[in-house]
Amino acid sequence: MTAVLTPATADQPPPRPRPLSRTNLVATITTGYVPLVLATLVVVLPLVWMVLASFKTSSELLTQRLDVLPSSFAPTNYTTAADRVPFGRLFLNSLVVTAVGSAIKVVLAIMTAYALVFVRFPFKKVVFGLVLATLMVPPQVSVVPNYVLIVGLGGANTYWGIILPGLATGFGTFLLRQQFMSLPASIIEAAELDGAGHWRRMTQIVVPISTPAIATVALVNIVFEWNEYLWPLVIVTDPDMMTLPVGLTLLTNSENGADSYGILMAATVMVVLPVLLVFAAFQRYIVAGLTQGAVKD
Amino acid sequence: MSQYPFRPAPLSGVGLDRRRFLSLAGLGLSAAALAACSGGPDTSGAGASAATDDTDWSTVRPAAAITFWSSNPGASQAVTQQLIDAYNASQSETKVTLVTAGANYEEIAQKFQTAQAGGGLPDVTIFSDVWWFRYYMQKTIIPLDGLAEAVDMDLGDYRDQFVADYQYEGAQWAIPWARSTPIFYYNKDHWSKAGLEDRAPETWQEFEEWAPKLLAAGTGVQAAFQLPALAGYAGWTFQNNLWGWGGGWGSPDDFDVRCDATESIAALQFLQDAVYKGGWAGVASNSAPNDLTAAAVSATISSTGDLVGIQKSATFPVGAGFLPGGPAETSPVCMTGGAGMGIPKDIPKENQLAAAKFIKFMTEPENAVTFSAATGYIPVRKSADVSQLTATNPLLQIAIDQLEVTRTQDRARVFFPGADQAMANSCANILTQQADVAGEMSALKAALTTIYDRDVKPNL
Amino acid sequence: MAAVTAPADTGTTTPAGATATPAGRRRRRRGPSARDRRDYLVFIALAGPNLVLIALFTYRPLFENIYYSTLNWTLGATTATSVGLANYREFFTSPDAASILTTTAVFTVATVGGSMVLGLMVALVLNRRVRGVGFARAAVFSPFVLSGVGVGLVWLFIFDPVVGVIGALLRAVGRTSPEWFNDPTLTLVMVIIVYVWKNLGYVAVIYLAGLQSINKDLLEAAAIDGAGPRRTFFSIVLPLLSPTTFFVLLTSILNSLQAFDLLRIMNPLGRGTNTLIYEAYLQAFAGSNRVGYSATISTVLFGLLVVLTIVQLVLLERRVHYR
Repeated sequence: MTAVLTPATADQPPPRPRPLSRTNLVATITTGYVPLVLATLVVVLPLVWMVLASFKTSSELLTQRLDVLPSSFAPTNYTTAADRVPFGRLFLNSLVVTAVGSAIKVVLAIMTAYALVFVRFPFKKVVFGLVLATLMVPPQVSVVPNYVLIVGLGGANTYWGIILPGLATGFGTFLLRQQFMSLPASIIEAAELDGAGHWRRMTQIVVPISTPAIATVALVNIVFEWNEYLWPLVIVTDPDMMTLPVGLTLLTNSENGADSYGILMAATVMVVLPVLLVFAAFQRYIVAGLTQGAVKD
Repeated sequence: MSQYPFRPAPLSGVGLDRRRFLSLAGLGLSAAALAACSGGPDTSGAGASAATDDTDWSTVRPAAAITFWSSNPGASQAVTQQLIDAYNASQSETKVTLVTAGANYEEIAQKFQTAQAGGGLPDVTIFSDVWWFRYYMQKTIIPLDGLAEAVDMDLGDYRDQFVADYQYEGAQWAIPWARSTPIFYYNKDHWSKAGLEDRAPETWQEFEEWAPKLLAAGTGVQAAFQLPALAGYAGWTFQNNLWGWGGGWGSPDDFDVRCDATESIAALQFLQDAVYKGGWAGVASNSAPNDLTAAAVSATISSTGDLVGIQKSATFPVGAGFLPGGPAETSPVCMTGGAGMGIPKDIPKENQLAAAKFIKFMTEPENAVTFSAATGYIPVRKSADVSQLTATNPLLQIAIDQLEVTRTQDRARVFFPGADQAMANSCANILTQQADVAGEMSALKAALTTIYDRDVKPNL
Repeated sequence: MAAVTAPADTGTTTPAGATATPAGRRRRRRGPSARDRRDYLVFIALAGPNLVLIALFTYRPLFENIYYSTLNWTLGATTATSVGLANYREFFTSPDAASILTTTAVFTVATVGGSMVLGLMVALVLNRRVRGVGFARAAVFSPFVLSGVGVGLVWLFIFDPVVGVIGALLRAVGRTSPEWFNDPTLTLVMVIIVYVWKNLGYVAVIYLAGLQSINKDLLEAAAIDGAGPRRTFFSIVLPLLSPTTFFVLLTSILNSLQAFDLLRIMNPLGRGTNTLIYEAYLQAFAGSNRVGYSATISTVLFGLLVVLTIVQLVLLERRVHYR
């Protein structure tokens, strides 16, 4: 709970211990590392278990004994998974769908949220409510109607057919609206006084100072697009157009029995890794952003 | 970027101009208009006519390309693709593409049903024993008798039990493909420690006598016998117990519901007592074959499709045998299961013909053997040469022999949509909550009767 | 900060700056000015594309679904009969309705509450600038990246009483594993634990972004004023986070009410974990294939989501502290 209270930017000198003093070190360890390590462990242990399982044989998995480590770290399950599933092609498809889909969604979310917060329009609350409602319609509900529409437009087995129905974005709009509403109005006013139009105000003021929120929206969108299963499963019948989660069903048939479990874990690890790399790249934007040139009014 | 971001700048243009906006709006309109004629059902009351096949197939030319939808049961993707490649190489008329259309029978059904609404149907699809009759009732698949004749498919050479499973109103609605039966698996080490003869029990009463010996053998098992995980299995495998006691969910020949008959109640009471009174049976949480493989139990009943997996993973010799009989009936007390291949109704005749030719190829005796070798499913052809298979895996012979004593499943399970789910829930109440058997069965009967009156009877 | 007022939030609020003259009020009475009209066009140009997509791919299906809910329609059948509100009558009078709604409520409250409290705590921990925090952030976030199917499979092998690690640990100390999968109450507890684990990273990351936009001067000022950590947190940090909290609460409730993959993998039969969305799935695909009845349940769910959201918007957003 005390974690936030250490100012990251200490311009004024409140009395604080010198960097390497003993009290400082102890404080850093107890308030910084102990909770950090604890929180990380709780979350990570099941993941470690998954990674270990991805190296185990089915006999090692199907046992009552508590065998933590696999007998060998040879990537047998990984190569088997890669043999059974055309990972290269699936990866490319997922990459295209995720990159294009989430990029467009972020842009749409920025534009909509900006309009909702900064542009005059009657009934904006109602419009906001209509956007929010997208979060309330269970995806299963829209499958059949959207399928009929997209197939009618010739979108079966195409990238745009996979991407288009998911573009409507309520989540990003909502998050960015919350962010934009907490921006100090004074800088927008100043910009308007200086004659900057909406486009300029949006792209040169609002967007740059909202980097953390925008990066968050991008990240969550990427995760959703990357893992989307039901829609691509339904709209794609051409094996060359399948995305990773759909392709992985090659491994997950419920009748396949336990001998495929290690392979499945290997495949799951392979699917998660790219998104974690993206997260590693994004997290500095999420966390850096405002702390450096904190907005002053 | 992180610097104070605002710098005064000259006024610039405002977003999109009006013309562009109008064209966007127009796009929305036309798409909305398109949506108006979407794939909902017809409520005018003019039902589709019954599916009768009077096509003269000799005038039809097979389509140049068809798709085959599979959920790849039993990790069959690789072998299926191998067979398809062989087919594509063997002729130049039709090119077949394999589509993984889901991870299980429910997902493939979901995709198939969605395609009914908007096009993009497969030319051949697989479906499980509890799904094909729904398609028959909805008139979305065609009878295959005419096609079988047209492509010289010898239905007489397919195993009778498997073929009979897909017959209704004198027509053949599917061709057997990935077919299985349950078998009794046991841990031979535990058997010998308990001093038991190396064979499966003849009857459940015999096993009831064996169970205490297995528990006392010092093998550290949690239960002598593991009942299968109830979701997806209870309705199927407990037919063995019901039939053995002279009861059943229903009957193979009519739409009666008999789950509340005295014999049926006695059969399930035996299972409940095995769990709660005798303490020798447990209920699998996720997978009974896994529990057997882990040596946590001494025996279980599971699909032949699990045979290869269990043998591969188990660290002990695995035994197998016929399903045990009961006090009233010792044979036949075994059911069949698995998936067949069918052809949708709303696709061109050319595609249907090409589909039939493809199905014929995939189930030819040597291909059926290839498929079995890779998956553990039973070869669907009588003339298939299984000597190679059984030489490499003698236990498969048991599954094949047991086919002689199989019985067609109760209609109340396979013809009633959603019956399996209701049966699994009732069995869960009985076997994990110790609910009153008679009470559960009369509730189940009411549920099944509702399903029949509402979803089956009007569609026959 | 004191000078900062809420930015233009509703359409009629006069925006700050050059146009903020008394003329604004008079102008409204005479209808939109040319300048207003130009703003309206800007609004339509910016929000329009998204709104069109929403109309096409969310509202159109939604209304079709509501229409289906008035039909007696079997999946895949080409014909259906109109039954008016009979499906709704059936659902609300069915003996299962009460337990489905209770399960839905318990699952939602427990998962939303659990992931929000834990997520905020984790975010506070991750907000420190210490060595290795980048790794910790990625680690905490990673469960959220996993697909529901992947998460379900991982935890199946953790909770399984026979081959699972929890069972093995308990056996090592002479206990036996609880029947996580065969006791409906424990099954619900289990899926709640797994769901919270999966969504903690989501909550934490959003809170982390929110924490980052808190003006550090305020915290320093509080520190100088002698406010303790606890007081600073509850009287400064938490109020400043209220827009984030509002967002997380709303989206978590909506997500939780639509949780599906995990439930299907971990408990296909749905005993003990049969929520509204799962029942809608069972009715359409695992049960009797009653699309009309399934549509009824998802419409009930949609109605519930709308009511909850409106309640939150009306009751909570007024109290949200936008700067």
